[in-house]
Amino acid sequence: MNGGLLTALIFLPLVGALFILMQSEERAIWNSAFIFSLLPLALSFYVLYEFNPQQADYQFVEQYDWIPAFGITYHIGIDGISLFLVLLTTILITLSILYSGGGDIEERPREFCFFMLILETGLLGTLLSIDLFLFYAFWEVMLIPMYFLIGIWGHGRKIYSAIKFVLFTMFGSFLMLVAILYLVYQAHVHFNRTSFDLPLLYQVPLTVNEARWLFAAFALAFAIKVPMWPVHTWLPDAHTNAPTAGSVILAGVMLKMGTYGFLRFAIPLFPGVAVEAIPLFMALAVIGIIYGALVAMVQPDLKRVIAYSSVSHLGFVMLGIFALNPVGIDGAIYQMLGHGISTGGLFLLIGMLYMRRHTREISEFGGLWKSVPVYAAIFMIVMLSSMGLPGLNGFVGEFLIMLGGFIRLRLATVFAVAGVVLGALYLLWTYERVMFGPITKAVNETISDLTAREIAVMVPLIALMLFMGFFPRPLISRMEPSVTAMLARANFAQAHLELERQPNRIAILPPSTREPVIAAAAR
Amino acid sequence: MTVQFPALALILLFPALGVVFNLFFGARSGRGAVNIVGPGVMFAAFGVATWAFLTLLRMPPGGALVTHLWGWIEAGPFHADLGLRVDALSGVMVMIVTGVGALIHLYSVGYMAHDEDFARFFTYMNLFALSMLILVLADNLLMMFIGWEGVGLCSYLLISFWYTNPQFAYNGRKAFVVTRIGDAGFLLGIFTIVATLGAHGVWTVNFVELRNNAALLGPAAATAACFLLFIGATGKSAQIPLYVWLPDAMVGPTPVSALIHAATMVTAGVYMIARLGFMFTMAPGTLDLVATIGAMTALFAASIALVQPDIKKVLAYSTISQLGYMFLGVGSGAYASGIFHVMTHAFFKGLLFLCAGSVMHALGGEQDMNKMGGLRKKIPITFWTMFIATLAISAIFPFSGYFSKDLILDSAYESGHFWLWLIGVVTAGLTSFYMFRLIFMTFFGESRVDPDKVPHIHESPAVMTIPLIVLAILATVGGWVNIPDQLLWGDTFVRFLAPAVGNFKPVVEASSFDLSLLAIGASLIGVVLAWILYIRLPGIPFLLAWRLKPAYDLLLNKYYIDEVYNFIVTRPLFWVSSNVFRDGIDGFVIDGTAEGAGLAVQTSGEVARRAETGNVQHYAFVYLLGALGVVGYYLFLVTGR
Amino acid sequence: MSPFNLAAINFVWLPILPMVIVAIAAIVVLLAGVRIDDGESEGLGLVTLASLGVAFVFTLGIVGQYGIAFAGAISIDSFSAFFQLVILIAAMFTVMMSLDYAAENRIPGAEYYSLLLFSALGMMLMASAGDLIVIFLGLETMSIPVYVLAGMMRRNAKSNEAAIKYFLLGAFSTGFLLYGIALVYGATGTIKLGPIHDALASGSLSSNPLLLLGMGLMVIGFGFKVAAVPFHMWTPDVYEGAPTPVTAFMAVGVKLAAFAAFLRVFMVDFSSVGAHWQTVLWVVAVLTMTGGNVIAVVQTNIKRMLAYSAIAHAGYLLLGMAAGVRSGPAILYYLLGYAFTNLGAFGVVIALERRGETGNMITDFRGLAARQPLLAGAMAIFLLSLAGVPPLAGFVGKFYIFSMALQQGYVWLVIIATINSVVSAYYYFYVLVAMYMQEGGIEVERLSSRPALVAAIGLAAFATILIGVYPAPYMTSAANAFHSASGAEGIHTAAAFDP
Repeated sequence: MNGGLLTALIFLPLVGALFILMQSEERAIWNSAFIFSLLPLALSFYVLYEFNPQQADYQFVEQYDWIPAFGITYHIGIDGISLFLVLLTTILITLSILYSGGGDIEERPREFCFFMLILETGLLGTLLSIDLFLFYAFWEVMLIPMYFLIGIWGHGRKIYSAIKFVLFTMFGSFLMLVAILYLVYQAHVHFNRTSFDLPLLYQVPLTVNEARWLFAAFALAFAIKVPMWPVHTWLPDAHTNAPTAGSVILAGVMLKMGTYGFLRFAIPLFPGVAVEAIPLFMALAVIGIIYGALVAMVQPDLKRVIAYSSVSHLGFVMLGIFALNPVGIDGAIYQMLGHGISTGGLFLLIGMLYMRRHTREISEFGGLWKSVPVYAAIFMIVMLSSMGLPGLNGFVGEFLIMLGGFIRLRLATVFAVAGVVLGALYLLWTYERVMFGPITKAVNETISDLTAREIAVMVPLIALMLFMGFFPRPLISRMEPSVTAMLARANFAQAHLELERQPNRIAILPPSTREPVIAAAAR
Repeated sequence: MTVQFPALALILLFPALGVVFNLFFGARSGRGAVNIVGPGVMFAAFGVATWAFLTLLRMPPGGALVTHLWGWIEAGPFHADLGLRVDALSGVMVMIVTGVGALIHLYSVGYMAHDEDFARFFTYMNLFALSMLILVLADNLLMMFIGWEGVGLCSYLLISFWYTNPQFAYNGRKAFVVTRIGDAGFLLGIFTIVATLGAHGVWTVNFVELRNNAALLGPAAATAACFLLFIGATGKSAQIPLYVWLPDAMVGPTPVSALIHAATMVTAGVYMIARLGFMFTMAPGTLDLVATIGAMTALFAASIALVQPDIKKVLAYSTISQLGYMFLGVGSGAYASGIFHVMTHAFFKGLLFLCAGSVMHALGGEQDMNKMGGLRKKIPITFWTMFIATLAISAIFPFSGYFSKDLILDSAYESGHFWLWLIGVVTAGLTSFYMFRLIFMTFFGESRVDPDKVPHIHESPAVMTIPLIVLAILATVGGWVNIPDQLLWGDTFVRFLAPAVGNFKPVVEASSFDLSLLAIGASLIGVVLAWILYIRLPGIPFLLAWRLKPAYDLLLNKYYIDEVYNFIVTRPLFWVSSNVFRDGIDGFVIDGTAEGAGLAVQTSGEVARRAETGNVQHYAFVYLLGALGVVGYYLFLVTGR
Repeated sequence: MSPFNLAAINFVWLPILPMVIVAIAAIVVLLAGVRIDDGESEGLGLVTLASLGVAFVFTLGIVGQYGIAFAGAISIDSFSAFFQLVILIAAMFTVMMSLDYAAENRIPGAEYYSLLLFSALGMMLMASAGDLIVIFLGLETMSIPVYVLAGMMRRNAKSNEAAIKYFLLGAFSTGFLLYGIALVYGATGTIKLGPIHDALASGSLSSNPLLLLGMGLMVIGFGFKVAAVPFHMWTPDVYEGAPTPVTAFMAVGVKLAAFAAFLRVFMVDFSSVGAHWQTVLWVVAVLTMTGGNVIAVVQTNIKRMLAYSAIAHAGYLLLGMAAGVRSGPAILYYLLGYAFTNLGAFGVVIALERRGETGNMITDFRGLAARQPLLAGAMAIFLLSLAGVPPLAGFVGKFYIFSMALQQGYVWLVIIATINSVVSAYYYFYVLVAMYMQEGGIEVERLSSRPALVAAIGLAAFATILIGVYPAPYMTSAANAFHSASGAEGIHTAAAFDP
């Protein structure tokens, strides 16, 4: 079958990055960067087209030996959980490059495009890896370009933010590395076979204590990335001081790596502990939802508002994930996509405003609707989708998440709905102070409305918002099989948990088996 | 029996087209086109709606027209489709929305004739109509919520239509956020229903399926769900405690007040309860709460309306009060009575607002009734139509309001809510008082209009007066469809609705004739009082205001509720967010910890660096210490055993 | 993998041919160079390079052979071969980086290059030593020339200071080592490593006081050479003062040789009494990692910073040793990656240096990316590798060592190490900040006219990536090398977790 398709998808941007290093003329750089971002975009849509919606297990799988000493293989594949995140990545990268070429990035375009494309490779690799070593490698790789993007093209305390971003993330991921190594060794002990292959590791029998510690290490790494309260404070700084494209990718895709990590690794690897941890994580998620919204409300800087709104929205995602039922997790994944699109859109819009006024202080604006109606209208739509207005993408995710959460732990949702109200409050208030009222600053009368290029950047996003708002079924139906398969393990573990508390040994299979673990777990 | 009726989609399609046209081409293609398209699509929708309604009438009772649009959400076992359903209940509502809506759109053409933002206005208006129709036609709870939120959005957009005024923008946001509090309750209600039924293996939000499986819900869940949904209703329909947004909503263009904040949107809560009547009937506790809240709101709002000087504020509080009646009706279990009042209210309250608009139009936007008076002759059509509407809302026989309010009070009494019935009667008196006060202050006595405005006073153009006349007719005859059952054709309307909302089963027997006599009596007292105070002895109101200053101020300032909310909710929320969360926890605790760790490394590094004196003796010394440590360890090993 | 089969010729000292070549080359260079002006020492450098290359080729011949020569004084195995190869590579890189540097700084070429060769000879000797005396011999042969090299820039006070400090403390520590050797001899009655191994394996000596003290003193002695806390104090001053190529040579070559001997003695021959030294190394490792990283954070001079980073990396290696025998292959692999990465980093430092004022401040790196994108890119690769970012050599090395340590149950040691890695990320990334995100700094002169240096940097960068991205063969050879030392014959595959 389609051999090498995903490899091409991952490494095309890298090729593009190297190609761009040879360019010197600015136009050429932007154009080639754009083209090299279009290729993976096209590929990802081809993957979507070829994707078999019924199949729960990985598709387009490729596996080659890499470091035989450790049984490390180059093992990649795509399933319902990662499919749309891959699309989201390719789409947002393309739009970011298209936007950045329009004057947002003036100095050192070559390095900029270089890092953007490297970043794309890192993100796609992280999403498509099935081998844990490969995953970790990509996971770390994606830090570096983002670090440069923030540090070089950022604003304000960019260096502080860049370093803070890297250190926060590394702290978590190094501990995760330890956990991975320990897990692999356990696999070796029990199966007498060293391998970083996820399907095998799913079956590693662990004592309750081992499982708890390992889960903690994974969860910390991912929680920092999400970011969950209270390890979220790197995010506002990174978001605020990053260049527009950086914020878009950071909020749009990179945060999802944390939630994706929970779905793909932390929970299926240690389902028993995950089930135990439901109350804790739901509590943190709800705190994040309300706390993020309240703090967003009192931010003086547009980008900080959106940054904290991300904390709130990702809280919803975590709520849905730890509902550990199909409804909640479908919603969570949907919310990941929705948040990527709407928050990405918001950051793009703020960037456009920043280009014109070189400030993001809310108090600097007011009455913009008069001077830039098109901008204001588009901002309104994107904001509404971020608010979760029915008919737009945001609602479907939030609704399913809260429904799933309600089914799992009623109280959590009872508090979570407060996020719906507060979301309306801080977004509308921000909008009001920026767009409504009389024009207080003379400069705001003369700023120009959106250019054709900028509209071209926004239109696809708005189209997606409407589509995702009214036609969620085709997307969810493709996620569903993988989700239910993943859940089979969790439910299985839960059943186990209730049977005998320890040691929670999960479906031990002959290590060589390549067939989906889930089937085994479900037995 | 249900019939596939794909044409229902057209009812949504027309306003949708209107939105698209006005949004993208409105400004470019000019006023003329917009003035045709804006109302045009509404009349088209009205045409289709009428077609559908007539088809429905020709069907045996309990019939319904349905059409399935597409499968919307499917996640795990849960699924919700997009489908439309016209039965007796939604049939009536869709007629109101499209009919009154079309008239008000038409009226707007004249009213907005001098506003350069007409395209945006009609975009919003059409979008509102679309959302309201989704709300009404939805065949399931979740799709209804789409419309529910959509109308909220449009209300926000239209209240803050003249956005350059920060106060208007604020009021718009206030309206949206306050109603969203209710919506949160609505959501939780949906969750309760879906989760509880889901536990029994029934995953649905479809009204029909809900009705068939309602038994599975059990009283507890039903009570909880209905209570939560009712919170939603209090938000959208401006009931205690969430009514505070509606008076402020009056800053929007007057047709908006007429359409959204009188005729249609604010009645959504009543419609929702009637729609889920089968469930509320299972939850008597909640039902009583609905009735109580309704009655209290009716009285409370009416009392505020007594003293308001602003013509639109009076109408706003009167709307809240009338909505209270509707909730009293549905809360008594007589859902048909509530819907009946929704209809008549749509006619006369819509008309009242349009008339108020016409008055303001004549006076260049003046809203203070102290600056009016004696307009009777100058704007006769407005006067007569408004007078009819006032008779209707004051429940004077035989105007529409009489029949609907009478039915509500009857059912309140017969459902055993004596005290609530009494409140209703008193409120009836207050209603007629403040309404006639309005009429007298506006149209009678000598003119208090600013002299410079006097020459410009003029009757509104035909495009505005025609809707007034049509509505006036409806406000008059609209109630005749349901006269007390003994007479002539009897309670046709109630019987028509019965299959959709169930029958009202009285628990207390009473002669509705006596009851209505009492109600009419109260109303007449109100009229007479108003006549005495504002025509016969116009000095007295000021005297009273001076004598009873505390009470007067209390009413004038709406019981200071806004101030209280601001003090106990808004201010603390902001204070905590900024001082405790943003600066305290984020800025100090968390970042403090992280940066503290970094600082610790830095300082220990600095300290350790001090050891690097460059002096070789020191190095040797440290070296020796280390050596001693190692040697010591081994000596310990040796001697240790 | 030997290009021509030397084993066929039964010639007893053939296995030490590489060392012989280096020795001869050293003498030749010294004699040939007496009349050559300090300014034109490139020629000598090239000769040195060539001879090292020849030695390298011959060393390849030893790979896979097994045996002892000179009555066990020299052990012939892949272990020696591995280290000798890497040492020769280090020497060659040093020479390539010195060619221009030595001439420019008027360093007397003859002495410089011959001393370089002599110390390389000593290192190779240490790597292939078969008994404790030869280890000591190698150590001295290595150290004394390095003392001198450190002070090679006669007119530079710092350089002289570095030399004298290094010499004093070196002599000091040599005493400990020698005394340790003596005690071990007293305990076991032999200086030959094989017999010592057998003697200890019998278990009778396991708590012999002489042996224990001897081990302790040897730990101290080696600890000095590998710059382990608290025997590290000399490192920053010496690294800073010495001519930068010499610093590179010290940071890589000396460390390699010291670890070669350290590993052979402790992890092979003392392995049976591991309980007695692993605890000490546990403590030393933690001190070394933490001390190195924490102090590195506050450095402003790149050479001092790299010095502390070198200390920290010694800590990671000691962690491997503390964890026990099975980490052996990992340590060898780590050293391989470490060698290239550090050589490259110092190469970049040299590139920034100029006659007169040295460009050794981290602030001098500001804006380098804008002026010299390739140079900055290379430096970025080295720093990221040092910080342990995949897929570079440094990461895979850490990964290898950590997994081995974990497997042997040293979870906390590994966690401490990972937290250290986070700390280290801070100062490595700070150089990236300077290069990419700040303005100012100094101009890099005539890079084009220093092809050897550029080539060295390029090769190092390439190797750093290659060893990281495709580590399999190097892991295998590392495993072979280590196991061949512990007496096991034949080719080993680097099994991750042998039972």
